[in-house]
Amino acid sequence: MASLRDIRKRIKSVKNTRQITKAMKMVSAARLRKAQEAIIAARPYAQMLDDMVADLAARSAGEELSHPLVAARPVRRVEVLVLTSDRGLAGGFNSNVIRRTSRFLYENRPQLERVELSTVGRKGHDFFRNRGFTIRKDHPGLAQRPTYRAAADVAEALSARFLNGEVDQVFVVYNEFVSAISQQVKLTQLLPLQGFVPQAGAGAPAPAVEVLVDFKYEPNRQAVLDRLVPQAVAIKVYRALLESVASEHGARMSAMENATSNATDLIGKYTLTYNRTRQAAITKELMEIVSGAEALK
Amino acid sequence: MAKLTVEIVTPERRILSVQADEVVVPGAEGLFGVRPRHTAYLALMQPGPLTVREGGSSQVFFVAGGFAEVSSDKVLVLADQAEPVGTIDVAAAEARLVEAQKRLAALAEADARYEVEMATVRRESARIAASGRR
Repeated sequence: MASLRDIRKRIKSVKNTRQITKAMKMVSAARLRKAQEAIIAARPYAQMLDDMVADLAARSAGEELSHPLVAARPVRRVEVLVLTSDRGLAGGFNSNVIRRTSRFLYENRPQLERVELSTVGRKGHDFFRNRGFTIRKDHPGLAQRPTYRAAADVAEALSARFLNGEVDQVFVVYNEFVSAISQQVKLTQLLPLQGFVPQAGAGAPAPAVEVLVDFKYEPNRQAVLDRLVPQAVAIKVYRALLESVASEHGARMSAMENATSNATDLIGKYTLTYNRTRQAAITKELMEIVSGAEALK
Repeated sequence: MAKLTVEIVTPERRILSVQADEVVVPGAEGLFGVRPRHTAYLALMQPGPLTVREGGSSQVFFVAGGFAEVSSDKVLVLADQAEPVGTIDVAAAEARLVEAQKRLAALAEADARYEVEMATVRRESARIAASGRR
């Protein structure tokens, strides 16, 4: 049996661990709040952009909304953008994304000529690099500070590759932020951009309160479209990035919460053992004294 | 008189959401004014000052390109960047301008980066110009 000193030492060490996990939980909670605010702040723009696209389609019904970035073609080369975090200790956050990506690679590699990976976050990068995958491009630092500008650069680079035929399809894998305690891994197609052209008959038609006449465009319709489509791609990347960052902090917060309560349980268990052992020692000593006294009679 | 609902948003946040009498937008082909009951209009913007007039007062913002969607009672401005002209950091803008011009001088016109740097130059010049309109 462990001696009293050993148990005391162990209690102390678990208490230290609890201190750390508690602190990490607080930090994650603060970061989570900020990340959630960023998601909420980004919503109006994304919403308006969607509305604008829908408006554009409704007002110019009949005319085609064509753009190279929405045009699908036979898929031979695919790129996957994997969003992970730079740090671990976030429960299943990174491993879920990595597992989803691995499954995708396993399922699709045989049919395809080439699948490339690009990564955000050190965890995903290290994992795939250590397993012999070539990472086409890593985006360091993006997981720490997600700015729209940086996301747009990533989107532009991917779009350029799509346009010059280096890849035929681009996917993003990331954790979707459901709530502070729940994240869901999502694999969505980024390019060719989907959902841009509202399907005929899909969704309820907007109530016709006013007769919709086509917009007047400045400088012209195609020029507006040429800006609108890349913008929609950039927003999609930015959104995935924000979701991923919020999910990271949410996942870490609940992981640290669990760790803290496990540590508390452990401390309780050790304290019980400690007291029992102490009591046993006292009892034993008493018995020795008593039996010693008895023997002297 | 009818009012216009004006919203200015950037990808990162909402900048402004107010009622106003008139908005002057830096369209791709020049400034255009919008008053209530304007025709449906969808414009690209160039970097420049965007003025929102309400009663006798007006607010001026710098917008760095994007889209403006106008309908009879709404102006939705989806700007790449936007800030009130009063908060423009002229020194920082000038620094970015000089940097971009330096890089630009080293590039050939056919280079893919050329357009990017050119856009930076145009944006920062417009930003500095707008800062004088407070």
